[in-house]
Amino acid sequence: MKKVLVVDDSLSVARQLEKIIGESGDFVCVGHAKNGAEAIKMNHTENPDIICMDMNMPGMDGLTALRTLSVMDKEVKVVMVTSLGGVGDKFTEALKLGAKNVISKPFEADNVLRILREL
Amino acid sequence: MAVKFFGQFLVEQGIVTRDALVEAIDLQDHKNLKLGAMAVEMGYITLADIERAHNAQMSKDMKLGDLLVEMGFLTLIQLNDVITRQKNTHLYIGEALVQVGALTSENLQKHLADFKADQAQYVSDGIDLPVKIANSNIWEMTADLTYKMITRVLDLQFRAGKCATVDVLAPNFMMAAMDFSGDVEARYLISVSEELQQSVARAILREGSVAGESAEVLEDTVMEFVNVVCGNVAAKASQMGVIMNINPPVTIHPPATGMPVPEGHTALCFPIHIGDGDKMELILLIKN
Repeated sequence: MKKVLVVDDSLSVARQLEKIIGESGDFVCVGHAKNGAEAIKMNHTENPDIICMDMNMPGMDGLTALRTLSVMDKEVKVVMVTSLGGVGDKFTEALKLGAKNVISKPFEADNVLRILREL
Repeated sequence: MAVKFFGQFLVEQGIVTRDALVEAIDLQDHKNLKLGAMAVEMGYITLADIERAHNAQMSKDMKLGDLLVEMGFLTLIQLNDVITRQKNTHLYIGEALVQVGALTSENLQKHLADFKADQAQYVSDGIDLPVKIANSNIWEMTADLTYKMITRVLDLQFRAGKCATVDVLAPNFMMAAMDFSGDVEARYLISVSEELQQSVARAILREGSVAGESAEVLEDTVMEFVNVVCGNVAAKASQMGVIMNINPPVTIHPPATGMPVPEGHTALCFPIHIGDGDKMELILLIKN
């Protein structure tokens, strides 16, 4: 089972993602970080295979955390989950910083799992 | 005095019974095919094609028909055929009530006129801003996208009221707000009643009941709805050549007296009437 860390300041989005991941059969959710700084700490303690991370969060945002994570940990695969997926510049920036994919909100479970399985 | 649908109006007025209305609605459901289903019935596409287009639609602000054409499942001529067939065969609730024997054709016209008179105050003829304001196309798009997301994400039926400028933001159970910066400076607010907060929570959490959820989670679902709408507004604005940055959403509990609009701002209020007289408001607090 691949370990997934969810990073989102929204409790409801974290709940949705944890449910999708928990019911998938091939992924397990190892935690929920509420901002980029927490994500960096939890990446160290939980050692996830995949991080599903929001872009727009209070404190350290997703793109700043992504920048740090891509330098600190070459193994972890980061997927951005964001309502800003349709903003071309943000999408491109995320991919250039090392994100493996960008999932736009609102999302469907099938789409999330398809993207995670393709990693 | 509330927003009603024609069938509800007829039942409330005692013109038709609830059972007759249900029978007429069942008849409508049976006869009125959605665009995808109609295209399948006409042999143009398969159910799998619709599913693929629906998945793509979650991240694209496009009508299903346009998307089916863009994805190569339908030609433009086929799409027009499907739409024409839908229009020609559409059964309205009034006609359905006539078909099930609850109304006569003559009475239907009279009741329709009475209904229109009753609902005139709630009818909005498209998005019409009440004042001249910079970037009006952006604010019209913001309201339009909000309406679409209420349908798509919250799965709520509503009627958009007429937009007006206000000096005080009316009190309500809670508001969720998000600030826009960049080429425009404004605050986007959605105001909801306690009942509507529950509806939003059920849709966002995809749960049949949210009875056991904490106040924090319930409020978060409204913030997440605002986040989804504003992110998509920012995406649409970028296609229009306007940069709109968004910040994390916040919740506001307005005082019973309402909240005065800060100096140097214009507040556009878009009433959104949902079902049984319940009201949501979209407010755009735009810096002058």
